[in-house]
Amino acid sequence: MPANLEQALRLAVQAGEIMLRNGAETSRVEETMEHIAKSCGAARAQSFVIPTGVFLTVTDAAGASTTTMRRIHDRTINLDRIAKVNELSRRLADRRLSCEDAGMLLDRIARERTGFSWGPAMAASGVVGASAAVLQDAAGFGEICAAFLAAAIVRYIAHIVTRLKGVRFMFDFCGAMAAALIGQLLDMVWPNLNRDIIIIGAIMPLVPGVAITNAIRDVIAGDLLSGLSRGLEATLTAIAVAMGVAIVLTASLS
Amino acid sequence: MLIAKITAVLAMGTAVGILYRVPQNLLIYGSFAGLLSWGTFYIATVFGAKPVAACFLGSLSAGCLAEALARLVRKPATIFIIPGFIPLVPGREAYTTMLYLVEGRYAEGMAMAVMTLLIGGAIAFGIFLSTTLFRLTANYNVRGKMPHARSGQNMD
Repeated sequence: MPANLEQALRLAVQAGEIMLRNGAETSRVEETMEHIAKSCGAARAQSFVIPTGVFLTVTDAAGASTTTMRRIHDRTINLDRIAKVNELSRRLADRRLSCEDAGMLLDRIARERTGFSWGPAMAASGVVGASAAVLQDAAGFGEICAAFLAAAIVRYIAHIVTRLKGVRFMFDFCGAMAAALIGQLLDMVWPNLNRDIIIIGAIMPLVPGVAITNAIRDVIAGDLLSGLSRGLEATLTAIAVAMGVAIVLTASLS
Repeated sequence: MLIAKITAVLAMGTAVGILYRVPQNLLIYGSFAGLLSWGTFYIATVFGAKPVAACFLGSLSAGCLAEALARLVRKPATIFIIPGFIPLVPGREAYTTMLYLVEGRYAEGMAMAVMTLLIGGAIAFGIFLSTTLFRLTANYNVRGKMPHARSGQNMD
């Protein structure tokens, strides 16, 4: 296998893996992988991406071809990394970046810690909850503060639960249960607080925004398989949140 | 009250961006997308639109802004779409559905569930329509220059 073909394959698959792992839509991953492979010496490139794996075949001018696949197990959400890999592929295609540098840059993008640590993330989650409470008409100052607290605690639960690998939908379920519990407890201690507004605010950070957006964009691009599975992911997340709230509400009724 | 809500929507866009790890210099655009979608929703409601239509208009405007911004600063449109539609998510309707069902008021719960689904569908199709519109114009431009190009470097 020619050396430059191997390099093109390795770079493109690594870029595809980073993008898929951090929540990019299917057509973007496929196109980015093909662009990177062609920029680094492949004459033709064909890629196939589903939410749980990437496949890539590259062919050089002489007709020699090679194929590889990479299984994606755990997925997170990090739009910063997607934007960085997108930018890298654009610079490669414009010949503003050499393939050797691109490999080093990809390693750095995959390893570096981006975004905020869990403290600011908790505060951000709290702000989302408090804002959602403000948007409800009957919200007073007490409800808004309670929603901030509850949403921040939901984020802290996410911080604990996501350390356990291979646990799907538990974060949403436990988060919703915690949100409902906090709303219920605060309502018992201070009966003039509106329980409903607190819970509505606290479950707002659990909305599966990336899954919804990617499902829509995949379906538009014609990637029906990916669109369907991401739509299912969004639906199951919503059901997990609803059931978490419902179970606590049922327990508090009896 | 309106000023408090506008502040809340702006804060929400940035906070959602932090949660989804949007690049830090682009957080402010998410706030504007959220403000546009919620503002459109609010104005439509003031003029007497039903929630489903108002949410559709809101997510359509946020989607169009997101796609335009994505082409302007050359970043994935997802970064701007998510903060854009989060203020419209029918959280209260979904919660009220569960509350009614738990209390055994099944008829009211089902009516509220249908309402939740309709609003969710309206948001989804607002984004669907805006993305399709921008995709059509992009493909049209490319086809004029190069006959067989699929769509150059992905612009959105």
